[in-house]
Amino acid sequence: MRNYIILGVLSLLLTSCAKQITRGAQYPKMYEEQPLTIAVMPPINQTQHVEAKDYFYTTLYAPLCEKGYYVYSPMMTMEMFQSESAYDAELFLEGDLTQFRNVLGADAAMFTIIKSWKRNNVGGKLTAGVEYILRSTKTGEILYRREGLIKVDTSINTGGGGLFGALISLAATAINTATTDKVIAGRKCTVYVLSDMPEGKYGTHFNQDQGFTAGSSYVKATVQ
Amino acid sequence: MRKLFVAAVLLSALASCQTQNSLYTWYNSEDATYAYTKKGTEETLNEAMLQYEKVINNQRGLRRAVPPGVNAEYGFLLYKAGKKNEGLKFLQAEIQAYPESEQFISRIIKQLEK
Repeated sequence: MRNYIILGVLSLLLTSCAKQITRGAQYPKMYEEQPLTIAVMPPINQTQHVEAKDYFYTTLYAPLCEKGYYVYSPMMTMEMFQSESAYDAELFLEGDLTQFRNVLGADAAMFTIIKSWKRNNVGGKLTAGVEYILRSTKTGEILYRREGLIKVDTSINTGGGGLFGALISLAATAINTATTDKVIAGRKCTVYVLSDMPEGKYGTHFNQDQGFTAGSSYVKATVQ
Repeated sequence: MRKLFVAAVLLSALASCQTQNSLYTWYNSEDATYAYTKKGTEETLNEAMLQYEKVINNQRGLRRAVPPGVNAEYGFLLYKAGKKNEGLKFLQAEIQAYPESEQFISRIIKQLEK
């Protein structure tokens, strides 16, 4: 029995050690290229929810600015993408990006693939599943890639006991979930997933965060 | 009671620390621009403009600077609303604050003035 406990503790330690990876090791190209300017590409929507594309787009700008990057105005770039037939980012996901460097002056382009965009009124959950891919416009290489499946808990516990209390909580949860915009899950997903992204020029830890812990390339979490 | 008071003070201190970790103050601009994207009415546009004004004039973030793109977006909307000189002033302010934006903003100014 004692051996099993030791074995369990050891495997736990090994697992936690194996997961510890620094930003410098996980995203070396971010530090090599040090992109300053980022163009946010229109999201690639793999869900049935047509509106997800336009709405999710608006969630990307502020978190990237907060990471210390110069991010082009989403409203202005979206207008330009629509007028220059660049609205379908699928065409550029693996293609040449030099035109974004020439036209915008962008060092990198942020692609996002929306894989899940759901609302569960009874369970009280909003879900956003998104993959984030930052590619260099200079070399075409992937500088940063991470995917997240983030659930936002919108459940309400009214505190009442018994069956009646449970029914009230259920109804309150359903109403709260139904009236909470799904874009909230998109926002939380972006902030959560990009939290381990190396900081840009305007960040307080620019070029000093190589030793910070990076998260796993796929992250799943439930947030409030 | 005293413990509760100390806990409340500590919590509010922590909360203020979190605010100070932000490079910029965004006010309600994210919600306002989202509402404008969703429903481009005069009302949502006015609200977005109001929030941009707050972001431009009352920065309390770590950088004490207007976030990237905000001067440009505000100027762009002003120009489209017919306030051309004022709009150009804000577009130029973007280049001044962020020289890396010059290529894009100069192109936009050229397109607007065509």
